[in-house]
Amino acid sequence: MVIKALSLYQDRTSLVHTIDPITKLVFILFSLSFPLILQNIYWSVGILIFCILLLLLGKVFKQTLPILGLSFILLLSILVIQGLYSPKNETLFFSVGFIRFYEEGLLVAVRIILRVTTLLCSVCILVLTTKPSDLIQSLMKKGLPAKIGYVLNSVMQIIPEMRSTMATISDAQRSRGIETEGKLITRIKAFFPLLGPVIMNALVSTRERSMALEVRGFNSTAKKSYLVEPTFSRIGFPLQIVMMVVLAGAIGWRIFQ
Amino acid sequence: MSIISVRHLNYRYPLKKELTLVDLSFAINKGEFIGIVGQNLAGKSTLCQALIGLVPHFHKGAYGGIVEINGINVQESDVNTISEKAGIVFQNPFTQISGSKLTVYEEIAFGLENLGIPQKEMKMRIDQALKLLDIYECRNQNPFELSGGQMQRMAIASIITMRPEVIILDEPTSQLDPKGTEEVFRAINALSKEGMTVIMVEHKIESIAKYADRIMLMANGGIIDFDSPQKVFSRADILDYGVPPPVYTQICRQLGIRNKNTGLYPITLEEAYEWMVSTE
Amino acid sequence: MTSITVKSLSFYYKKEDPILTDISLTFDQRTTAIIGQNGAGKTTLVKLLKGLLKPASGEIWINDQDTRVVSVAKLAGYIGLVFQNPNDQIFKSKVIDEVMFGPLNVGQPKEEAITNSMNALLMVGMEDKKDDHPYDLSLSERKLISIASIIAMNTDIVIFDEPTIAQDYAGKETIKRVIHDLQKKGKWVITIIHDMDFVAETFARTIVLANGKILLDGTTREIFLQKDVLVQAGLNLPHVTQLGYLLEKNKTVLTIDEFIKDSKL
Repeated sequence: MVIKALSLYQDRTSLVHTIDPITKLVFILFSLSFPLILQNIYWSVGILIFCILLLLLGKVFKQTLPILGLSFILLLSILVIQGLYSPKNETLFFSVGFIRFYEEGLLVAVRIILRVTTLLCSVCILVLTTKPSDLIQSLMKKGLPAKIGYVLNSVMQIIPEMRSTMATISDAQRSRGIETEGKLITRIKAFFPLLGPVIMNALVSTRERSMALEVRGFNSTAKKSYLVEPTFSRIGFPLQIVMMVVLAGAIGWRIFQ
Repeated sequence: MSIISVRHLNYRYPLKKELTLVDLSFAINKGEFIGIVGQNLAGKSTLCQALIGLVPHFHKGAYGGIVEINGINVQESDVNTISEKAGIVFQNPFTQISGSKLTVYEEIAFGLENLGIPQKEMKMRIDQALKLLDIYECRNQNPFELSGGQMQRMAIASIITMRPEVIILDEPTSQLDPKGTEEVFRAINALSKEGMTVIMVEHKIESIAKYADRIMLMANGGIIDFDSPQKVFSRADILDYGVPPPVYTQICRQLGIRNKNTGLYPITLEEAYEWMVSTE
Repeated sequence: MTSITVKSLSFYYKKEDPILTDISLTFDQRTTAIIGQNGAGKTTLVKLLKGLLKPASGEIWINDQDTRVVSVAKLAGYIGLVFQNPNDQIFKSKVIDEVMFGPLNVGQPKEEAITNSMNALLMVGMEDKKDDHPYDLSLSERKLISIASIIAMNTDIVIFDEPTIAQDYAGKETIKRVIHDLQKKGKWVITIIHDMDFVAETFARTIVLANGKILLDGTTREIFLQKDVLVQAGLNLPHVTQLGYLLEKNKTVLTIDEFIKDSKL
């Protein structure tokens, strides 16, 4: 039985990987708010291109594509709906038969698409190039309670473990003549025989695990130490400052414009 | 010098009508290897949890009497303080994994991080434990990918790196195959040789008879006997308490092979063989 | 007619990492133990027999039904499997309802299901717990309930996966008796098990799996004669057999009674 951890992290060596998680979090904030403040579509395109460059630099662009692909369908529908039906629509952009697309609506849609894509890309930079445990550890050092940190960390492993328990339970009930596949009514009938043991198992193992954690100092009031102190490039902090300054500048420019 | 002292311990789980532990009094010396035997529901696991403070701090209920571990009154202390004195390993290796770490090495560090042990000290303790328990080669594996025997030894390592003076093991081999069982027994024996006090609940009678210094026989929440393995397993009435003596003892009893002076029967393979050959 | 035929069966999740390789096997009315280290492929083999997994190549026939095509639910009428952990199946709030769940699923009329379930509870010694809530019982009692819930399905074949785990002496004796009772009733009993003393006392035939292949297959006495092969497979000998070998090199003693009888000759 192989239990795979739920993590999108890609283990590569790149400059992006050496940047600390906090800086990457700040970058997500930056890449979202900067174009918002400036309200200029060229800046939005610029930031998106910059994100893609970072993904390429981090050697994880290929892993971003399926995520973008999934959201593409949703974004396409925004384009169609806004282009056709936006209340602001005045200027006809083009028409296919009796279907008319308007400039205003399309522009709104493009802005939304740019924003969502930028968000996805900057989140991908964080998620694909940062070990989840490093991210959580960094957050814990910034004041995230240790217990929440534990929960976040363990979700990655406990969910796959629960999935394998569920497979066993499904086997056990199928062995007693229950069908779990096929028509909806069959599936509904199989629901309780599957759910009952899943809940009981979860309760039992949670109780056992909490005892095991208890005797391993989980509620200790001592200041936590860390086995591994991940080393990140020192450039992170200056980068955070630069982003903050640029943002402040952008806000100032908007106010005094 | 006794490291654990229990006086008139009584305990009843919440919502239960009957006592699970009934008026237990005993003492355990530093460095002893104690085996606890008895049928299911005799109170063995509950006693283990009372020694470590999970009873009454984790499981509430009615509690009476005094449990002292290394001079600390368990009831007046808390699980954190006690866990620096004594550690416990449970039956199911799976549910002891914190689930928040990706390698065996990091998993063992979990408890040490919680206690705030400095990094250098942590690494030293972990390396030492990995070697002592013979799992050094698995240190970079995912904890969930280990075999049962390896997982259970990892659980033991997680406890002994916290440097308790007593380690309590509640049926640590019940879910393991013969090889895993053998590995765990060997590891525990190594700990015992290092001077650690070991308390182990075990159904595998032949193994516990071989390693333990003293055997505690429990039934219905009480202690029936607490003596040398040979004395306890030579009791004519032991099966009445749901515990079969080792196969070797059963054979020798039926054949009447025993020590002329003490009237006791052999309890290990080697003893049985020697005594049989010498009586022929 | 009860029959189990396994023909050149192989199984893997990933081709480069085979779990079972080219296994051919038939079973009969002898009580059969399957032993081997963890990871030898024992559980995978019984899941294949149950149709829970499908062969990567080769075939398995249960009572002339091809497990590759027949649904698990249909096979459940012929072959019962008691899982290791009773908590993986228990969901009813009364013991008797839990035991009756399988029989009703495989199409037994209610009256028959009640009779079979009560008989099964009687067989495992839990008849007086029939109205209890399963979670008010201990884990070892729940295991006996899960055994009864499979027996009540009245299948021709009953498979146990590690029935003695977490059982004390009394529990093991009960399970030993259940296996003999089933065999007397004409059922075929197959058991995955680690407890060698239990194997020696209980089973007529033993199959040793190692690395996804059959290492040994024969009467239990023949198997425990292959001391060196077993040790190599990470297995050990029953305690009484070990003492027997120490005293007389080439004789395989399987039970205490045998040992005593031999000694008195």
